[in-house]
Amino acid sequence: MLPRQDTVKIFSTFLQFDYDRFGGWATDTRLRRSMNQSIDKIDANNSASFWALYWHQIWQEQPASLAREHLAAYLQEVCFWSATKTINGFSSSQYTASDCFQVAIARIDKVLKGFDRERGFNLKSYASITFANLIRELLRQKKEIDICSDWSLLRKLSQKRMIEALANAGLDSEVIDRHILAWNCLKAIYVPERATSTRKLPKPEPETWQAIAELYNQERYTQLEQPAETATKESIEKWMLICVKAARSYLFPNVTSINQPKPGYDSGEIVDSLVGEVDDSLLTDMITNEEVAQRSQQQTDINQFLTTLVAELKPEEQKLLELYYSLGLKQAEIAKELNTKQYTISRKLSKVRKGLLMALAKWSESTMHISLTSDILDNISSLLEEWLANYYDSH
Amino acid sequence: MTTANSAIFNPTDLVLELDQATIDRAWSLSQTAGNPTSRWQNYLNQAALAVFLPWLQAELDNSAKVEGEAWELINGTAIATKGAKLVLIPSEAEDLSELRVSQEWIDIPSWTADYYLAVQVNVDAGYVRIWGYTTHQNLKQGDFDRRDRTYSLTDDQLISDLNVLWVARELCLDEVTQAAVEPIAELETTQVDSLVERLGNQNQLLPRLAVPFASWAALLQNPQLCQRLIAARRGEPAKTPILKWLKQGLSEISSELGWRQLEISLEGSKGNDTLPNSGLAKKLTIANRPYELKILPLTEAGEWRFELCCLTPGCTIPEGFKLKLLTADLKNFEGNEDVASQAVNQLTIDVDLEPGESLVWQVEPNPDNYQQEILQF
Repeated sequence: MLPRQDTVKIFSTFLQFDYDRFGGWATDTRLRRSMNQSIDKIDANNSASFWALYWHQIWQEQPASLAREHLAAYLQEVCFWSATKTINGFSSSQYTASDCFQVAIARIDKVLKGFDRERGFNLKSYASITFANLIRELLRQKKEIDICSDWSLLRKLSQKRMIEALANAGLDSEVIDRHILAWNCLKAIYVPERATSTRKLPKPEPETWQAIAELYNQERYTQLEQPAETATKESIEKWMLICVKAARSYLFPNVTSINQPKPGYDSGEIVDSLVGEVDDSLLTDMITNEEVAQRSQQQTDINQFLTTLVAELKPEEQKLLELYYSLGLKQAEIAKELNTKQYTISRKLSKVRKGLLMALAKWSESTMHISLTSDILDNISSLLEEWLANYYDSH
Repeated sequence: MTTANSAIFNPTDLVLELDQATIDRAWSLSQTAGNPTSRWQNYLNQAALAVFLPWLQAELDNSAKVEGEAWELINGTAIATKGAKLVLIPSEAEDLSELRVSQEWIDIPSWTADYYLAVQVNVDAGYVRIWGYTTHQNLKQGDFDRRDRTYSLTDDQLISDLNVLWVARELCLDEVTQAAVEPIAELETTQVDSLVERLGNQNQLLPRLAVPFASWAALLQNPQLCQRLIAARRGEPAKTPILKWLKQGLSEISSELGWRQLEISLEGSKGNDTLPNSGLAKKLTIANRPYELKILPLTEAGEWRFELCCLTPGCTIPEGFKLKLLTADLKNFEGNEDVASQAVNQLTIDVDLEPGESLVWQVEPNPDNYQQEILQF
């Protein structure tokens, strides 16, 4: 893959896949126009990271503006590397890097929402770990769901996911409500009869369907806006099969509109309102050297503090961090390296991280004069993750 | 037990192993549940607890303990630790996209907690994962679904690193975790019996949604009523904690269950603190005449007297009446009955009980409205 160098291109082009490989960059002309306009407003030559912070701030104030797409364009390489690297860690070849990429970039809001400009290092490293976590989680879920029977699958979805899947399948909200009620009745009545082997639940017996239908018919008066018709056991079964199908196909959406560049506006009719206003005052504020220098110094200080802290950890703790963050080894492999049991890895890692988090929090409080809240600690935790990923990646 | 791609979890997740022994034990403990649905709920909660609590005790607070659960009725387990109350909310969902908490945990004043932990349980893969948490305050502001009476938050509204909780407890001392909650009005005594009967019926599959929340919550917030409802759904007789009542004094509900406190003077007790100085009495009606069953402590600790006498002045207990005590599993033991071979003033049985022993009392002929009761000592 050829990474981009030109600032305008970085914020206005999207990666195209040729099957599963890099197939070039496609330009979104609106975004190109928007970047050119923005750049014209400033004399100085600013880096991509500057513009990333700028667009992130715009996005926070105007979530529906072009800022989001600019950032999606910016994060294309990061997402690509996250997808290819993560998928290499999974032995099955059922999933393509392209699929993973699509799914990750579709969840860009999670990245934008979680990134803390004040304390976070940079958007790319934050995005990198967030995308990687997202993709890994998704692959793990897909694998679990693939080995489940239809009836087991229905137990393994949250209500939120079930609703999204049904909406994605095109059902309208009233119909969705009926399906959800039936699904909840199914889960109440048809429970596993053994402690394990919950992945291969067989189809319910007719008497079970009947009981589910009866519960549905009783509950519809209180739980539905419009109670609708009596359900038979056949209709309940039909609805459940719809739910299953919707759930299975929801996991990997086929097309992400965000990665398809919009048709260009080459006719010369530039409609300013479509292009996104460039916020002059914000730009001026941002390029004051003071803020840039401050952020840079902060990052250096944090880096120094954490480097020292990690060096003071016990050797086996340092080894654990290295195995986890740099090599991306699986729990089983790490356990083997450390000659310990697999499921102790998460516990040990959690403990080491708690120590680091506590130290970093106290240090932040005193050196940066901030009063700590849970939300700020949450950001500091992300910061720690970012730092660990970067530190071990470069060593 | 295969661990499907147990490879890697996010570094901020806490993943604990659910081994076969723990699974077997949780499954076996859950068999006391009243129906398959509540048994499964019981099982998942047992499993999550069996794995989380020891970890919590080992890593952070060896005094951490369970503070409350009503698995027969609601999902979730309350744990008390280091001045904070946590509620574990286990779920089988593989997608970690929301935390869904039953309204009871948020809107019943005595049930509210500081933190609510999202716990994924995968029994086949053999692990329990804590992937996020939030506060009562946040949940109260979350999405309320009136259909299943839950408050929910999406994954990005939660804090994903559990370590933040422990660090915050130490460093953010003034942080508010709980929102204000309206008190729940108590039930009229006339309502109680009919509610318990209706909701205690096994055919009522979703008792928590069957009546308005105000009534349901009023029932649940009273520990004795809650236990009574659970016992009813399990088909178990109600338990009466004698010693506990005598030590702590009777609550209003105990008087509704028919018991009242008796002041007594014990000869030779000589200020022995461990001996209760009161007993309990319950009115019975047999064949239209009033009687009273008394439970009285004797001078030696662990010795109790059961007495049946009649209340009408000058009356006697008719010939053929029998006072009988049985073990909790309804077996006879030596000296467990007293029969009136002719009209007598009272029937008496003295028993020697170990702490924690239980008894069932019976009278023949059966009193009106007799309900089997397990007396716990």
